[in-house]
Amino acid sequence: MSKKIRLLYMEGVSPLRSQTVYHAVGYAMKADTPNTIIMVSPNGPYVCIGYHQDIQKEVDLDYCTQHNLPVYRREVGGGAVFLDNGQLFTQWIFHKEDLPASLEERFKLYIDPLVATYQELGINAILRPINDIHVNGKKIGGTGAAQMGIAEILVGSLMYTFDKKTMSQVLKVPSEKMRDKIFESLEAYMTTMSEQLGSAPDRAMVKDLYMKKVAEAMGAEVYDGEWTAEEEAMAQEIDARFTSDEWLYQKGQLHQQGVKIHADVHIVEAAFKAQGGLIRIIARLREGRIDDVTISGDFTLLPVFALGALEQSLRGSAATPETLKSKIEEAYYRLGIQSPGVTPADFTTAIMNAVTPPQAA
Amino acid sequence: MIFHACDIPEDLYYDIERDVWIRFDGDVATLGMTDVAQTRCGKFAAISFRDVGKNIAQGKTLTTIESAKWVGPFPAPFSCEIIETNEAGFGKDILLANKDPYGVGWLVKVKPTNLENEKGGLSTGNEAVERYKERIKKLKINCLRCID
Repeated sequence: MSKKIRLLYMEGVSPLRSQTVYHAVGYAMKADTPNTIIMVSPNGPYVCIGYHQDIQKEVDLDYCTQHNLPVYRREVGGGAVFLDNGQLFTQWIFHKEDLPASLEERFKLYIDPLVATYQELGINAILRPINDIHVNGKKIGGTGAAQMGIAEILVGSLMYTFDKKTMSQVLKVPSEKMRDKIFESLEAYMTTMSEQLGSAPDRAMVKDLYMKKVAEAMGAEVYDGEWTAEEEAMAQEIDARFTSDEWLYQKGQLHQQGVKIHADVHIVEAAFKAQGGLIRIIARLREGRIDDVTISGDFTLLPVFALGALEQSLRGSAATPETLKSKIEEAYYRLGIQSPGVTPADFTTAIMNAVTPPQAA
Repeated sequence: MIFHACDIPEDLYYDIERDVWIRFDGDVATLGMTDVAQTRCGKFAAISFRDVGKNIAQGKTLTTIESAKWVGPFPAPFSCEIIETNEAGFGKDILLANKDPYGVGWLVKVKPTNLENEKGGLSTGNEAVERYKERIKKLKINCLRCID
C-alpha cells in the first residue's frame, strides 16, 4: 500500500457534512486517490439512521421536530443514533487492496489505533470482536463498514461525551417504560472519555495522539491534507440527496430485535394475551441471559409484592423456555403466588416472545 | 468443485473480481453472489432491490446488501435490464443467499444489453475453478453457510 495517508481534519462542520464528507471521498475515489482518514465533528446535534432503517418506525420524528434535530440516513448499516459535538468521528476511506479481505481483520486494523489512543489516555479500552470497543464491559463507541464506489469505508468515533438521555428520547419505542429501560441500560453499558477521565481531554492533543497511533499501526506517514474540488462537488451532490424526502423516507427493510446497546446487550419487548389478561415484558438480555426484566399488564397477581420478587428471581437466568418456566414455577411455589387465568407457562411464553419474536404467518 | 469449503459449480459463468455468478438461459441471465461473496459479506440483515425495468451499466449496483457488519453493492457483471428480482424470496427468508447462494438465493434476473462487448471478463468451467482457487488462496478464506 501507499505509505502515506491523507488526513482531513474537520472540526465543527454542519451535521449534514459530518456524514456526507466520507461518502463524498468514497464516491470520488479514483485509483490515484490517497487512502484518507477524516476526523470530523459536527457543530450541532442530529440523528443518524442506518441505510436500511425505516425512519418512521425507528425515530420519534415529533420529538426531533420539537427539538430542531435534523435526521439523516447514512449509507452504512446499523441503527439510529443521536450524535453531537461530543464525538469526533474517525472515518477511513481506503482502497480495498490496502485493507484485509476479512471483515474481522479489517475491523481490528481500524479499531487498534482507537484502542491505543484510549489506552495512552489512561482508559482501559479493548477490542471486543468483531467491532466494538469496550471499557470494563461498557461500550465506548461503535463502528461500521461499507463499500462506496471503489472505496472501502470504516467509521467510528472517539467519544468525549455522549448524551444518553437524548439518545433514549429520539428513538421511537412502544412505551415510556421501554424508553426508561433504554436510558438505564445506556447508563449501565456505555461510557465516554469524560466519564472515564473525569473531564474531556484536549481535542488537539487527542487528534495528534490518534494520528500517531494510526501511523504506528499502519507503518505509514499520516499527513494533513486538502479536500479537493472534486470531493467538494461530490459532497454537494450527496448533501442534496441526503436532504431529499425520497432518500430520507425510503422504506427500510431492516428488522432488528429490540434496541442494541452493545454487542452483548439488547433491550427487547413483547406482549402476550393470556386468558387472565395481557402480559407485557421489557427485558434486557446480556449474553443470552436475562439481565433485567420488567413485567406489567392487566392481569391479577397476588400477593402484591410477588411481581417484583418474580422479576428478581429471573435475573441472571438463561433465556430458554425450560429455565424460565422452572424459575417461575419455583417462585410461584416459594411465594404462594395466585394469578387467576395466568400460568407460569404464560409468563414464559411472554418472555420468550421478547427473546425470540414469533415469526409472522 | 469444493475448495476451502467454497463451492464453485463448473456449469456457471463467473465475474470473479466482482464475485458474481451467472446462469444463462436464452437471453436471460440469473445472477447471484458466489459462496465466497456471501461468506465475506456475512449474514444478511437487509437487501434493497432496484426496480424491474431499470437499465444498469456494467459495474453499477443491482442491489444493496446490508449484513451484520457491512453495507455494499451487488454489482452488475455486464450492462443489463432488470427483469425480475428475488425480493419475495428474501422477504420470507433474509438468509437465502447465506444458505443456498447458487439456488434459491439468486438475486436478480436480467437481460444483457451489451454482452458481446462485455463478456471478456467472464469465465466458466475449469478456467473459472482455477481462477477462483487462486482468489480464495489470496483472500485466505474458508466458506461458511447458514443452516437455519
